[in-house]
Amino acid sequence: MKLYDQLIQFVEQKLGPIAGKLGAQRHITALRDGFLVAMPFIIVGSFILIFANPPFAADTTNAFGRAWLDFVAAHRPTIVMPWTMSMGIMSLFITMGVAYSLAKSYQMDAIGAAALSAMSFLLVAAPEKGWALPLNHFAGTGIFTALLVAYFSVELTRILKKYNITIRMPEQVPPAIAASFALLVPVLAIFVTLYPLSLFVQSGFDMQIPDAVMTIFKPLVSASNSLPAIIGALLLCQLLWFAGIHGANIVVGILSPIFLANISANAAAYAAGETIPNLFTQPFWDFYIFIGGAGATLSLVILMSFSKTAHLRSVGRMSFLPGAFQINEPVMFGAPVVMNPTLFIPFVMAPVVNAIIAYVAVNTGIVDKAIAVTPWTAPALIGAAWGAGWAFKASILTAVLMVIDLMIYYPFFKAYEKQVMAQEQATATGATKTETAGNPAIA
Amino acid sequence: MKKIFLCCSAGMSTSMLVKKMEQAAVDRGLEVKIDAVGMANFEQAIESYDVCLLGPQIKFKLADFQAHAAKLHKRVEAIDPMAYGMMKGEQVLDQALALLEETA
Repeated sequence: MKLYDQLIQFVEQKLGPIAGKLGAQRHITALRDGFLVAMPFIIVGSFILIFANPPFAADTTNAFGRAWLDFVAAHRPTIVMPWTMSMGIMSLFITMGVAYSLAKSYQMDAIGAAALSAMSFLLVAAPEKGWALPLNHFAGTGIFTALLVAYFSVELTRILKKYNITIRMPEQVPPAIAASFALLVPVLAIFVTLYPLSLFVQSGFDMQIPDAVMTIFKPLVSASNSLPAIIGALLLCQLLWFAGIHGANIVVGILSPIFLANISANAAAYAAGETIPNLFTQPFWDFYIFIGGAGATLSLVILMSFSKTAHLRSVGRMSFLPGAFQINEPVMFGAPVVMNPTLFIPFVMAPVVNAIIAYVAVNTGIVDKAIAVTPWTAPALIGAAWGAGWAFKASILTAVLMVIDLMIYYPFFKAYEKQVMAQEQATATGATKTETAGNPAIA
Repeated sequence: MKKIFLCCSAGMSTSMLVKKMEQAAVDRGLEVKIDAVGMANFEQAIESYDVCLLGPQIKFKLADFQAHAAKLHKRVEAIDPMAYGMMKGEQVLDQALALLEETA
């Protein structure tokens, strides 16, 4: 119990405030919000990729599968084009989204910042050849560059503005016209900073800036596929949630570039018919580790729905539908799970066990690695299959994990149920006493 | 008509509470507009609404949002965690109305 107290104290007094500061920090907020801008394009785009790669063997005798395969074989470039122009160029959306959000937080011209960032990204990541832009760095390998370029271009604009390095207009010029000159100096400043840097990297190292950036971030991305890193990230998320702080909001916000770099490499390998490289992806996180939300609470919600106590039963039933869509605030604050010592152990243990089992199942090839990004609100059983290119083995894994979570939560749930029941009875007897005490007066 | 918005990470769990609050408002014959907003859109929302209540899970944004709202002479407060979890529309509506009184 002493360890628990120390841990809670640490989370409340150290981790919580740090997480709060991170969550409110403008660059991290812009990172998260900017990635949200790119999400619809990535989700629908990756859906098309699955359509272009039917889940049937090349020699299938299934008539539907045969027709699908033949159709795709005949029209592949046409079918894949929307994927290329959505998920295939996601770094462009990301750089614009991040710059827009960051500029907005500084109350600067947001759309101008987004356009400037797009230009900066193209300048360093897509040197044109024969009036065409090479797209090889527009997907996963360009993500970190997209992010850095967005920060750089917005901060540069801000600093120029702060030190009043701008084209000054006489006072008689209307503000709207003066504003139209505001972005001229930043554009020029990008030309004279990023472009020479890009040329230098190209001539000196025979690579482009995105290659160089990827080399720097490579250890981070590889580490993300390891079990200790996954458990570390999820524990951080869990401890924050236990303290009532939206852990995923912060942890996933920071993880999103890694998730996208990983899944984009997977999608490219899938499209090329190669071995899928990365294990740690958004569907892995959402639909294996956090079934029903942080703490894999869907199993707890099911247990609660059949509870003998009115309180747990009503919270459980109320929490089931949101839980089915991966939203668990009602059970977190209603049961409550937050700051509840009885439920602390299963709350932390269930996702860790899920992660270990899923890691083994995916690593040994029993279940496929994810190739598609899905909405995080997809029901876990469906989302798992969706992420894996509609391989329903993934849903079976999710179902197995849910059963295991039920077993992990069960004894602790029973213990908590007893506490709640004792409380309910105490209140009930208390109420009856007041009633009987009150009755004679009425009579 | 008074306009209230609830704000959480993505505006998802608050949208459930909004439903309950709307029901509570209808039961009392009150005319209020209540919406759920994701935290990314707080700054736009606070411009046009009268008051904001924050989901307890993003309480770390409270100081930030309060400072922003104070410039517009508007109030932001966090929702009581238990009321949030139990989706107590009545209680949270009372909190919003009390805040509106203070602002008015």
